[in-house]
Amino acid sequence: MTAIETKGISKTFKGDLRAKRVNALEGLEFEIAQGEVFGFLGPNGAGKSTAIKILLNLIYPDRGNACILGSDVKDKEVRRFVGYLPENPYFYDYLTAEELLWFGGRTSGLNKSAIAERTEMLLTRMNLTTARKRSLRTYSKGMVQRAGLAMALIHDPQVVILDEPMSGLDPIGRKMVGDLILELKSRGKTVFFSSHILTDIERFCDRAGIIVSGKLRCIDTLDNLLSGGNTLEKVFLHEVEKAGGREEL
Amino acid sequence: MTVLWPIAVITIKEGIRNRAIYGISLFALLLLGLNLLIANMAAHDVGKVAVDMALSTISFSGLLVVLFVGINLMAKDLDKKTIYMVLSKPISRSEYIIGKFFGIVLILFSTIAFISIFACACLFVLKAGYATYFPQFSWSLVFLGIFFILITLILLSALSFLFSSFSSTSFITLVLTILSYLIGQSLSDIKALIETSRITGAAVSPITIQVVNVAYYLFPNLSFFDIKTQVAHGVSIPVPTILWTVLYGFVYTSLAITAASLIFRKKEFS
Amino acid sequence: MVRILTYCLIALFFVVHIVAVGKLTDQHAALQKSGYQNQLFVLPSPILKVVALDYDGVVSDYLFFKGITYIGGFASRGGRFQLNESQWQGFYNILDVSTDLDPYFQDPYYFANAFLTWDAGVVRETNVLLKKGSKYRTWDWSLPFFIGFNNFYFLQDYDKAAEFLMVASRRPGASTTLASLASKLAFKAKRTENSIAFLEEMIKKTDDESMKKTFGTRVEAFKAILVLENAVDDYRKKFRRFPVNLDELVKKKIIIEIPKDPFGGKFSVDSQGAIRTTSEFLLLPYHR
Repeated sequence: MTAIETKGISKTFKGDLRAKRVNALEGLEFEIAQGEVFGFLGPNGAGKSTAIKILLNLIYPDRGNACILGSDVKDKEVRRFVGYLPENPYFYDYLTAEELLWFGGRTSGLNKSAIAERTEMLLTRMNLTTARKRSLRTYSKGMVQRAGLAMALIHDPQVVILDEPMSGLDPIGRKMVGDLILELKSRGKTVFFSSHILTDIERFCDRAGIIVSGKLRCIDTLDNLLSGGNTLEKVFLHEVEKAGGREEL
Repeated sequence: MTVLWPIAVITIKEGIRNRAIYGISLFALLLLGLNLLIANMAAHDVGKVAVDMALSTISFSGLLVVLFVGINLMAKDLDKKTIYMVLSKPISRSEYIIGKFFGIVLILFSTIAFISIFACACLFVLKAGYATYFPQFSWSLVFLGIFFILITLILLSALSFLFSSFSSTSFITLVLTILSYLIGQSLSDIKALIETSRITGAAVSPITIQVVNVAYYLFPNLSFFDIKTQVAHGVSIPVPTILWTVLYGFVYTSLAITAASLIFRKKEFS
Repeated sequence: MVRILTYCLIALFFVVHIVAVGKLTDQHAALQKSGYQNQLFVLPSPILKVVALDYDGVVSDYLFFKGITYIGGFASRGGRFQLNESQWQGFYNILDVSTDLDPYFQDPYYFANAFLTWDAGVVRETNVLLKKGSKYRTWDWSLPFFIGFNNFYFLQDYDKAAEFLMVASRRPGASTTLASLASKLAFKAKRTENSIAFLEEMIKKTDDESMKKTFGTRVEAFKAILVLENAVDDYRKKFRRFPVNLDELVKKKIIIEIPKDPFGGKFSVDSQGAIRTTSEFLLLPYHR
């Protein structure tokens, strides 16, 4: 079965008193196979976060549906196998990294020893061992991001969804996340991440989709996208221009 | 189901480690100290004043916890989007609400217990010192009074959850909860006022009467749980009344939380 | 299946809720009446004024409502109030504090006069309260009028009564009869007529239907007494002595029949020629 599958997802946000309605997503449809690393590329406001939140059942689509590992995303059990890192993650100020991971593990159904083992492993991997008993308020942005990643992976999920995972990280942080993605790939996990940083997409992804103004403009393997001497930048800007041009008509 | 406990745990940890609880407890202790000092100024009814102040301190502190810790915990989740970390796990919206509610109930329980210990110590000291002025004192009544206060606070928290589920800001939730508290406390008085108007001959419009009657059943009648006067004068409460009161609290709280869950299901987080 | 069960449970909870509210209302009402004497407690005015910040008016209103609800709680079927002294004192206090916070507030004075004079017999203090109101509500003739009536009827201080009636007569909207009533009060001999006149003014000033009825009955009683007094006078003029009993007045054809006491008592005449009755009406000593 496919890892992630969406069919005809559309979402319109009703505007407030002054602003108009926004068509966040229109007819979004794609399939991600298991073990794939998929990059979701698009300018700011294209609808990347909206699509991801629909996959996490944080937002409900007006039309269409989505499935992860064969089950509808509305079923909470699905999230037992999904790891999610939101853009700019926030956690409870007064919890420690350890307590955060305990929470993640317990709610995902891990038993005590499994939690202990994986907590140990992840804290080391994410370089948070010294800070493990400090409250999350005291963490730097990079540390918070790493704690979030640990939380996303505590239950060794089959599908990992990351929303702008590199945002705000320094080069060390970016390398760490990159290595992580490659490691997950080597272990057969599916990674779906959104980004507007082209080099990241080029480096890690098997396939990529470009979304502009709520519509998926093109979706293909990296090899195909970059064939004929194309750079991802060219392809991307081309799609943006096409989309912008059509809208003006 | 087992997911409720971890949610409650992190709610409790976040709530207790918040400075607000310490501030409120300190305030309560100060009031109790004041009680020790001024209770004896009531020439004859030292017992009544002491009990009044002790129970009022517990009640008011508890109210502060509901308004500024309870609502705050829910608000943080919604405003700062910390709710993502919870809802991205295999947790349904209802489980989130119920788990959080249990956490807040436990916070209330432990804060009230803490303050009550000092309140009872205060009463014990005063009773020992002015034994003759505590004619109808009953410890079991005091505990019943504290128990009823706890039920009131739990009910109020449930209402705050209901308001959170559809309010767009935590400020609106705060205002609505305070309003509910004020209405809840004055409901009996307002109904009595309407009724005595017939005796005193003042005219009351039928619309007012209808509105009050509807409100009487819609809003929680918090004065049912207010037995401070009875405790202060040692008047015992009949067992059927106690049972009905607890049942009422339980039923109203359940309905409020259920409504909160249902509304929360529809909520989206963008 | 689970859904249906949940909905049933919710419906059940609604029903229990409605029932519980009803039961608890009754039980708490019973609790109030039995057991302990419900005391009304209010902070002293100076403290309350500070506490009320800039909400003096609202607090004043609240206290007033509290006061009348308090009394309303004691009203028995017959409409008479059964409070003991400290409870009346509580009622008085709360109206006193209410008017300290807003001395222009009319209702506390009105209700104080309505309940405290007739039912509690607390006349002097009520007059103090009314005087406060009269001082502030300079456009309101009813307050000095009430004081006048209280002095006349309960305290039998006719000079004071006349004094306050004059004050009332000078205020806007006062009936023209007030001034003449004031001057008539000087005539002790015309006590019964004055009582009637006074009471009729009171009726005009009263909104409350049951109060009007009470006054009306008193007026009837006084009118009956007036008939008898005039008859006794006529008898004395004719026969140079007081009648032995009221039947003599009928026998000698001075009056057709003995009027009935609307309060259910039996009229009689004493050796000084004063009319007495066995009913509650003349509970207060009523000398000629």
